[in-house]
Amino acid sequence: MTAVVRMAGMTLRELLRRRAVLGLLLVVPLVFYLGRYEETGQAIRFATLGVGFAVSAAALFSSVGGREIEPLLALSGFRPLQLFLGRLLALLAAGTGVAVVYAVIILVGQDVRSPRAVVAALLITALVAAPLGLLLGAVVPRDMEGALLLISVIGAQMVVDPAKDSAKVLPFWSTREILTYAVDGPGDGSFAAGTTHAVGVTVLLMSATGSVMAFRLRRRRHLRFV
Amino acid sequence: MDDSVGSPQGVVDGAGSVDRRVVLEARGIVKRYKRRRVLNGVDLVVREGEVAAIVGSNGAGKSTMLKICAGLLSPDKGRVMVAGSLGYCPQNAGVMGFLTPEEHFSLFGTGRGLNFEEADRRGRKLAGELDWEISGKVLVKDLSGGVRQKLNVVLSALGDPDLLLLDEPYQGFDHGSYVDFWRSVWSWREAGKAVVVVTHMLNQLDQVDRVLDLTPEKGRRHQ
Repeated sequence: MTAVVRMAGMTLRELLRRRAVLGLLLVVPLVFYLGRYEETGQAIRFATLGVGFAVSAAALFSSVGGREIEPLLALSGFRPLQLFLGRLLALLAAGTGVAVVYAVIILVGQDVRSPRAVVAALLITALVAAPLGLLLGAVVPRDMEGALLLISVIGAQMVVDPAKDSAKVLPFWSTREILTYAVDGPGDGSFAAGTTHAVGVTVLLMSATGSVMAFRLRRRRHLRFV
Repeated sequence: MDDSVGSPQGVVDGAGSVDRRVVLEARGIVKRYKRRRVLNGVDLVVREGEVAAIVGSNGAGKSTMLKICAGLLSPDKGRVMVAGSLGYCPQNAGVMGFLTPEEHFSLFGTGRGLNFEEADRRGRKLAGELDWEISGKVLVKDLSGGVRQKLNVVLSALGDPDLLLLDEPYQGFDHGSYVDFWRSVWSWREAGKAVVVVTHMLNQLDQVDRVLDLTPEKGRRHQ
């Protein structure tokens, strides 16, 4: 547990000290939000997807940036799972902070049926975004490729009709479903379906990322310690 | 093309050490990058209290051999046995730019099972041996290349490992730091550690116990 907490603490410190990048990432949801400010539903959906982009991008950069040091940390005694959980915890903490800031901005500026559902949608978006960014960072060669993939995912999420079954393969389908519930009422969206989808996607993303990291940092078969 | 290198004949062996415990034993290491064979049946045995140097021209496979010994890279053939713990110092990078050196000590110390105070104490002591006095809260990204490399050396030795694998660790060192580095290597040897250094500084080879020359056959020269 100490190893996970120490890894999380150091990852969070490193992340928070990158003020210029963090500042730019935090502006993205605000730009999305202000661009549709007059249309409550759209403004909240865009802002929330912007939060998803910001948290995923932070996770992506953190993951790619940690590639050189993680093998050395593994050699020093960390287990791959401890490194993964530490980084994930740090990003979830940062993501929660961003979600809370935007919850305040949205609830002050917009009139919604269910403020609690808006807060939940933002928190759930951060929950999905952190492992999504970590997975992208684990499988792409460089952060540029990861950023392009992430833009594609967010773009698809914005344009695909959430009522289609195929939309459910997108990671932030839950965000749109819960926000529809929050803005338009229970008749149009389901809080339970959104939450279930988010939990399922998060578990899937975490399992995939953990597996990739475990493989990358595995003890090689040719090496034997006695 | 087969520029096979590093066969057992490439090892210059120090005498009178056979009774010491073997800490690193690499046998029959073969590694190819696409169609190019970089290592062809390389053997390396290092005992406690020994310093081994891996030498060779650019692209000869020195860093590849060290990464295979550290378990960071898989060979196509061969096996490696390590008795005890190992520390590895990369040629460059390997640190987090937005953390301070003390935070690195704390992080790596946690992996080694050290508490914050002990990791900090050991880190500062090792840094001092490399003529590096840590002061203030300077982020690693703001350190010079040489000092960053000193941090890598310190982190590799932080947990007092039985085997130290150092990949051209003195890049960016000034002359004084370079001398201090070799003094540290010799003190680790006196403490019974096994040390492997990738180097192209042939003037130090008379002060090591073993030399693994990975220069391709035609150009190979022994010490």
